[in-house]
Amino acid sequence: MSQVQKAKTVPQVKSFFDKNFRTPKWLQKKVSRRSALKSAAGATMIAAMPVRSWSAVTANKLNGALKTDPWLTLDAVLAHLLPESPTGPSAREIQATQYLYNVVFQQPTEEAEIEFIYKGVGWLNGFSTSQLQKNFVLLTFDEKESILRAISKSTAGENWLSNLVGYIFEAMLSPPSYGGNPNGIGWQWLEHQAGFPLPQAGQRYYELPGKQPIVLNSKISTANKTTQVVSHQQYIAKQVGTRKA
Amino acid sequence: MKYDICIVGSGAGASPVAYTLAKAGAKVLVLEKGAWLTEKEFYKDELAISLRDAYNPKLEDEQHVIEEEYETEDGESFWQGEATSESGWSFWNGTVVGGSSNFMSGYFHRLKPIDFRLKSEFGAIEGANVEDWPIDYDELEPYYAMVEKVVGVSGRVSEHPHQEPRSTDFPFPPVAEHAISSWIDESSKEIGYHAVPVPRAILSQPAMGRNSCEYSGYCSSYGCASGAKGSGRAALLNHAVATGNCTITPHAKVYKIETDSKGEISGVLYYDKAGRKQVATAKYYVVACQAVETSRLLLASKGEKFPNGIANNTGHVGKNLIFSGGGTGRGDFFYKDLTKEKQAQLKQVGPFINRALQDWYQIDDKAFNGFNRDGKAKGGTIDFLFYQNPIARAQSTKWQYDEAQDSEKLIWGEELKQSMKTEFTTYKTLRFEVFNDWLPTDNCFVDLDDDVTDKWGDPVAKIRIGAHNHDLDVGEYLAEKAEKLLTEMGATNISSSVSSAPASNLMAGGCRFGNDPKTSVLNKNCQVHEVENLFVTDASFMPTGGSVPYTFTIYANSFRVADHIKERWQKSTS
Repeated sequence: MSQVQKAKTVPQVKSFFDKNFRTPKWLQKKVSRRSALKSAAGATMIAAMPVRSWSAVTANKLNGALKTDPWLTLDAVLAHLLPESPTGPSAREIQATQYLYNVVFQQPTEEAEIEFIYKGVGWLNGFSTSQLQKNFVLLTFDEKESILRAISKSTAGENWLSNLVGYIFEAMLSPPSYGGNPNGIGWQWLEHQAGFPLPQAGQRYYELPGKQPIVLNSKISTANKTTQVVSHQQYIAKQVGTRKA
Repeated sequence: MKYDICIVGSGAGASPVAYTLAKAGAKVLVLEKGAWLTEKEFYKDELAISLRDAYNPKLEDEQHVIEEEYETEDGESFWQGEATSESGWSFWNGTVVGGSSNFMSGYFHRLKPIDFRLKSEFGAIEGANVEDWPIDYDELEPYYAMVEKVVGVSGRVSEHPHQEPRSTDFPFPPVAEHAISSWIDESSKEIGYHAVPVPRAILSQPAMGRNSCEYSGYCSSYGCASGAKGSGRAALLNHAVATGNCTITPHAKVYKIETDSKGEISGVLYYDKAGRKQVATAKYYVVACQAVETSRLLLASKGEKFPNGIANNTGHVGKNLIFSGGGTGRGDFFYKDLTKEKQAQLKQVGPFINRALQDWYQIDDKAFNGFNRDGKAKGGTIDFLFYQNPIARAQSTKWQYDEAQDSEKLIWGEELKQSMKTEFTTYKTLRFEVFNDWLPTDNCFVDLDDDVTDKWGDPVAKIRIGAHNHDLDVGEYLAEKAEKLLTEMGATNISSSVSSAPASNLMAGGCRFGNDPKTSVLNKNCQVHEVENLFVTDASFMPTGGSVPYTFTIYANSFRVADHIKERWQKSTS
């Protein structure tokens, strides 16, 4: 396991081409052949943090977030990876950015992975500026293509892009309650018959009863307290309920 | 309060005991580490069931250490452990009430008479610890019949060379079959195979307060939302609870069976949902938390009379762990090669293939170079299935072979879209799984790890997963037979992969039953030789595993043991 980065963060690495970069542990596990074989359905992803928060208004939050980085660039990268074309739905149509936003802010995704996704944005814009004196979002289609091709030749760049393409697959083919695949647009395109019942909001994997089954130490419960965000509507409903009781 | 029966675990090994004893009037306590979910909380959600593994612990919290064999450049071999939080290779199979039976495919093949006496039939195999069972098929047969009725098995009997004796017909007609089943039947006939209808633990008709199958097309590894799948929870525990005699405590993690200075059990110790230490006491104790964790619990339960763990004074606990030998294979059918009618048949989603081959359950073929005389060996079962999970299917579409670099290249953009469209809409893959015996050896066992602990600070199980080469020989022999059928069916890209890496969801052994306390952990009633009121009712008891998935036999044996416990309990109260 000497190849595997033990630390949670991506230290020291300054660009996609930094030779200190090693494929992070969480990503190795995602692509591990064994995990793929085991479930016949992809790898087991490890969630290091408890459920962060749930809010009915993430969509609106995304609109705000899209005005600046990292989401401005991530949106442009996803749009380039799955472009508009007659062949099938684009990243915008499958709401890939919304999905990824939920991966970061709703799903209990490991911090190291989020950090890697964000750092990649910085490295991408650093490289783009060094080559073409512009941030990625300001490039033409062809310029974007050549920049992404260039970074994909590095291990870090390929890891970063491959991870984003993986989220495009999830956005296209997971139940719509996770934020992508609106009205099953991805399933329809790929002539895939989904199963039933599907999870609705409130029934997603991180919302199942007992997801934090046995609380061991105060650290976890404190983390819960500080991160549990109750949406305005839920808060009102709770208050009404209390009064009635 | 003091219960009559305290059961650790709630899956296929535990639930028949809870069901039988609660119905008889005994007060039963079930301690389950996971949450208590119901039909309302199972969805067809690929993220939940596999990609995020939501029904199992985080590996950072609870894991295993897997020991594999490595070879140095000088050809010397050594065993090296790797924590599963490092490798991502989970050995958890469903940490919820009902355990892994919630997520099984429910292929309910019985063992056959020969499985109970492999040593007598085929002789010893060098490097393997094969032993006959202390019971024979006839003793288990009535309990297979009982499971078919009570858990609910849908199927039909067909004549084939290895059909085991049956006292009853199937209580439920077969579940609906996919059109490809008839293709399998036809091609099998052409080449002299006997395609066998697969009995499924899935209700084809509503019964016993449960709905019948809704044919969503997502079954294997998904929790069942209709109640049709015969999980220990849906089929047995719900009825046990309804008697008013069975208490299920979820989020209860048992870490020790405590014994006093006389070696008698003084209680079962567990952490409750809040992490507090609790004690449960009963007249009879049953351990059934799947083979690895059962051995781990016994090994961890040290006491004055049991310095090496309860039931382990002869050192056999955790030994002779087995998985299932075999592997998987596949063949593709391209729509362009098929008539419109056949295309439509193939694209159907929902009904089950339900076909198996058991023609080589016993191999008798001079061409087979096994350990045994005259090409005779125990063979196995081949089952056919489709995969349905789309996100997993998409993964390969982002890689394209790059000739210039002789490596895989990441693709995106229009290229990626074409690749996805082609993957999903031009063909369908028929898969098969080979099940054959995993021979018990000295290099497959459970022990407590010296370094790694779980989130409560207790040593985790270390699993050494060495396999016997004979398993590979048999698996390859069977895979070749299956490939021949796919060829006959007109499939292309036919391949198979027989591996010595275990399927972590098919585990048994570790607490063998037998008549001699010097060589086994349990007696023939699955009572620990060394402790009068302690039983093990999951797959741990099996000296050899047979060549079919384990769940059916776990259920049947657990019902058999439950009858024995019931009798003892009734005597003690009369």
